[in-house]
Amino acid sequence: MFTIKLSAKIYTALILVFLFAPIVILLVFSFNASKSLSVMQGGSLYWYRELFRDAETLGAVRNTLLLAITAAVVSTVMGTAAAVGIHRLRSRYLRLAYDTVTNIPMINPDIITGISLMLMFVFVGRLFGAATSLNFWTMLIAHITFCLPYVILQVLPKLQQMDSSLPEAAMDLGCTPLKAFLKVEIPEIMPGIVTGLIMAFTLSLDDFVISYFTSGNGFETLPIRIYNMTKKTVTPKMYALSTIIFFTILALLIMSNLIDTTAPGVERPEKKVRTAEQKKRLRIAGGIGVVLAAGMIAVMIIGAPDRPVLNVYNWGEYISDGSEDSFNTIKGFEKWYKENYGSEVEVNYSTFASNEDMYSKIASGAVSYDVIIPSDYMIARMREEGMLLPLDKDNIPNYDECIGESFRGLYYDPEDLYTVPYTYSFVGVIWDAEQVDEEDTGDWDLLWNEKYRGNILQFNNSRDAFATAQYKLGLDVNNTDPAEWRAALEELKAQQPLVKSYVMDEIYNMMESGEAAIASYYAGDYFTMVDSEADTVDLQFYVPERTNYFIDAMCIPSCCQQKELAEAFINYMLEEEPAIANAEYIMYGCPNRLVYENEDYAEEMGEEAMEILYPDLDQFAEKFNEFAYRNLDSQTLDLVNTLWEELKIN
Amino acid sequence: MRKIIELKGITKSFDGDVVLDHIDLDIYDNEFITLLGPSGCGKTTTLRIIAGFEQPDSGTVTFLGEDLLSLPPHKRNVNTVFQRYALFPHLNVYENIAFPLRVKKAPNDEIDTQVHEMLKLVALEGFEKRSVTSLSGGQQQRVAIARALVSRPKVLLLDEPLAALDAKLRKDMQLELHKIQRASGITFIFVTHDQEEALSMSDTVVVMAEGKIQQIGTPVDIYNEPQNAFVADFIGESNILNGVMLEDRKVRFHGHVFECVDAGFGKNEPVDVVVRPEDVDIVPEEKGMLRGVVTGVTFLGVHYEIIVDVQGFKWMIQTTDFVDVDEHIGLYIEPDAIQIMKKSKYSGMFGDYSSFSNEFDELSDAEAEVEEE
Repeated sequence: MFTIKLSAKIYTALILVFLFAPIVILLVFSFNASKSLSVMQGGSLYWYRELFRDAETLGAVRNTLLLAITAAVVSTVMGTAAAVGIHRLRSRYLRLAYDTVTNIPMINPDIITGISLMLMFVFVGRLFGAATSLNFWTMLIAHITFCLPYVILQVLPKLQQMDSSLPEAAMDLGCTPLKAFLKVEIPEIMPGIVTGLIMAFTLSLDDFVISYFTSGNGFETLPIRIYNMTKKTVTPKMYALSTIIFFTILALLIMSNLIDTTAPGVERPEKKVRTAEQKKRLRIAGGIGVVLAAGMIAVMIIGAPDRPVLNVYNWGEYISDGSEDSFNTIKGFEKWYKENYGSEVEVNYSTFASNEDMYSKIASGAVSYDVIIPSDYMIARMREEGMLLPLDKDNIPNYDECIGESFRGLYYDPEDLYTVPYTYSFVGVIWDAEQVDEEDTGDWDLLWNEKYRGNILQFNNSRDAFATAQYKLGLDVNNTDPAEWRAALEELKAQQPLVKSYVMDEIYNMMESGEAAIASYYAGDYFTMVDSEADTVDLQFYVPERTNYFIDAMCIPSCCQQKELAEAFINYMLEEEPAIANAEYIMYGCPNRLVYENEDYAEEMGEEAMEILYPDLDQFAEKFNEFAYRNLDSQTLDLVNTLWEELKIN
Repeated sequence: MRKIIELKGITKSFDGDVVLDHIDLDIYDNEFITLLGPSGCGKTTTLRIIAGFEQPDSGTVTFLGEDLLSLPPHKRNVNTVFQRYALFPHLNVYENIAFPLRVKKAPNDEIDTQVHEMLKLVALEGFEKRSVTSLSGGQQQRVAIARALVSRPKVLLLDEPLAALDAKLRKDMQLELHKIQRASGITFIFVTHDQEEALSMSDTVVVMAEGKIQQIGTPVDIYNEPQNAFVADFIGESNILNGVMLEDRKVRFHGHVFECVDAGFGKNEPVDVVVRPEDVDIVPEEKGMLRGVVTGVTFLGVHYEIIVDVQGFKWMIQTTDFVDVDEHIGLYIEPDAIQIMKKSKYSGMFGDYSSFSNEFDELSDAEAEVEEE
């Protein structure tokens, strides 16, 4: 008996640990003084301070709250009305039918709801000839749609539990049907309404999937913003934010439970009868609240400025945004534009997480962006598909001075008609000097070195992993010959016993903490790791002769509404101040001569970084065109996937 | 007496089932009138039509000579006490009673005076601040009555208000209701399926069955002179036999000719004969008008209830004298204990105690209550 009781207790404890350990870890690391995920370097409120300085994230928080509050209120009113309607139906079959129909959206996978809503908005938008059909309103409609059934689900049972003679009694005692509803039915079902409201609010607050499909120009909610940060690591600011959100929702939950236990029918302390004066005051307070909320929404919607709006679509965390005392590029542009062109402009800035996300959003035709910053291979694809507009270089006078020959004539835009390069980087090998002999370094062989068995990390993504083998063997990464791909596979199989694990983002942790000694990754990310490496780790970096290069470049998509403004923006991004700020923020290579020839910049980055990021630039175009990944045809892609699976099954 | 409500030719059906079939009913000022009948007889529907929660298919209802049907419930000068009270759980006792006055936007001091007056009437002084959910059934009942009376309606409708109370409380509340009605001078229309309740409280009893009014009269009339087998059976216990009216004041049943007090029937007209169990005297066998064998004896405290087999027909007799099972006895019936009724569709359906058992009766009563809800 004793052992059974004990193991039951242990089991319960284990479940609690599993449930709450992640949140506790998040909470602890939100107070970390350093950036590292693995090393706790003393407590501080640094990230909370940073969070409240990050205007873009706070904007996303504001958007999220605005959306959640509006969606919750509207869906609660509509849902309550619907529940009352369903409840009053005389036909039992009709009632059952409505009940089932309203439940379907709850069972329906979010992704289907999201896609179908997007489709509908785009379709209806086209019907009315709107250039962009996704905006705050479509997102609001989407959120109301998925919150509604939950409200009905909360309110309907309260109506069914209510003595049906209550409203009759109220009418009998002199109430009009409306008054009977307001004075008697509403107070009776209030606990259901409040729970429905809170549920709708939290559902809307943390919805990602449906928001992702229905969000439009510039209206970015918090979950989408956090997701888009994954090109680089999620900053610990987000731990701070998540901690705040967690406690907010916890508070709401406790509140809603309290409301439920004080519901009618349960013994409760004697209710104080409000005097007429108090009631009047309450009514005034309620009125003020409603006016404020309406005002907030009105300002948000009607108060939209009549000055031109530029829609910029970029990777998450890919612009200097004023956080950590950096330069605010967006504000800088708005100011610069006014000084140089004499009129106001507003930038609507949103982010994406991958080239493919960006592509599908633009291809849907539901949004319109003026400037986008995709990667090389995606530029090639979009150019071929006619999704880019040629740039008018007269509007980008900085181009000639800033972009040297090294960064011209690249394969994705051989005549330099469509793009202005923004950042570049390349893959190199990161090694821990505490564990690896320097003489073993220099080329790809290090990743196949028996000496470091069990200390090597490999990409957990087929293209990057195959490329390491192809570069090592001297093969072309863009070849379509199956025999060559097979040869690369054999090489990877030979490496497999030495590999500690196949990783993507986990690489930061494992390298920073010294858990692994060798990995290949992007140059810019190496600096991030060095910044937060543990005391017992000494990370170094070198670039093998043959390796992958990528460039992200600014382009104007064909959905652009403000081409000249977009070109002005691109021109501004080449100006010295924003360009340096962005290069320092992103820590990738910058193809702008004003940046890499600037002494202050060189000093700020340090000698090592300058050497790594800016090797012999004369050869850049040549190497890029030879070694960079290009789009593979579908047959080859299938082959790569098959071979990759073969490797992973072993 | 002033006629206050008049129902004429009221017909109502739900989904093709006729619930009310041409009801005519007059209700007078300051009267305690009871609609009595088994579940499904249409008594509650009649009440709901007067309250305004249902519209009849045809017929008229007038209130002091004015058409009532065109008014919505909240404009009718009648209030209802619901079966399960329908108190508002989010309001306390005081606010529940004050509710109709607040709806009318009466001044606060007037509300205060009236609510306290009502609390006094229903003996709930000191309960003002209590939550209605913390009250006992009887107390909730009285709050519901106070709430319905506070706006001084002309008529109070009570829909089986005592059904949810236990037997003892029920008796108290019956007296209380009667007192309140006398004190307030308001017309009470009371719906029940409990005949005892109906007889003890009412000025007028309306017996209903199958959507029709079977008999209207004072409790004494209804009990002593039921108009058909249904009423006779429903009100109290009755032995109902087939008889033949030989001539005025002479009726034959069980092959024996009895003297009675009824007249006006046709010669040799078949009739239903009612004899109440307490009106039969037990005499030695040789002195009896009828002879029979005792087949069952039940002790009920005040009296015994015995079943006597007379020529295959089982009589029920209530007596304070003890007789034993299988005893042969004689029955003696006074002329004024015999009530003669015209034959009706209910003839032959009631009044024979062949399959009688107390338990069985209670069971079917309970069922009736469940159905009602």
